[in-house]
Amino acid sequence: MKVLITQFRKEEWSPYIAGALLGLVGILAVFLSDNLLGASGAFENIAGLIGQAVAPEAFDNVYFNYVMPPGITWGVVLMVGVFFGGMLGAKSSRTWKLRMISDEQWKVVFGNKWWKRWLIAFVGAIILEYGAGIAGGCTSGLAISGGMLLAPAAFLFIAGMFASGIITAWLVYGRRF
Amino acid sequence: MSDYIIALFLGVFFGLLLQKAGLTKYHKIVNVFRLTDFTVLKFMMTALIVSMTGLYSLKWLGIITFPNVPATYIAGNVIGGLIFGVGMAITGY
Repeated sequence: MKVLITQFRKEEWSPYIAGALLGLVGILAVFLSDNLLGASGAFENIAGLIGQAVAPEAFDNVYFNYVMPPGITWGVVLMVGVFFGGMLGAKSSRTWKLRMISDEQWKVVFGNKWWKRWLIAFVGAIILEYGAGIAGGCTSGLAISGGMLLAPAAFLFIAGMFASGIITAWLVYGRRF
Repeated sequence: MSDYIIALFLGVFFGLLLQKAGLTKYHKIVNVFRLTDFTVLKFMMTALIVSMTGLYSLKWLGIITFPNVPATYIAGNVIGGLIFGVGMAITGY
């Protein structure tokens, strides 16, 4: 038992252990509630909810009426859980801390200005969510959840994601560090 | 209602595992695209293998039926993936 607690408190687990456990979580999601794990859809559900309250006409379209119906969906609740789960993870290893820039490597590349990190993250996140919207999911919702059902969509998505990710990383970071 | 409790519960595990694998860190995400740290791939592929094996076994045993499989639109999935990759590489999320 003590060994398990020590293991649990470690800041970083083996990605193989964590990955295998996530696989079990993915199975449980299907088994217990016939749902797939996913992250990006929750944003659209919430955005749709706010959008329909603020500008009902702009949000009265095929996408929000049929493809991504607004509401507090299963995925939204899942994301609330993810927030607390992530917090629990950081708390358990005593590395939980509020930061303006979360990563040392980022500082090496872009400097110490926090607004720069937030601005780039904001713009990048728009691109990311837009891509996820077109593809029909993100890393978790399409690549992992689709992949585990052997959906061709998932593997096409993974190929696209890595192709452009590698090129972008090369263009942006090059040999800068 | 019970579905929401399950979602919350599974979400906590999902978040915990992402955090413990280090995937909440900028450098882990970016470095997989720089081909210097393959944590993301190790995590993703292990999760895929375990869940794939489990789900297909359970389906074969007749215990579960599959939920809606994500639809395949070749152009949509590839173009979406290409745009997504750009965003992922610059945000590091």
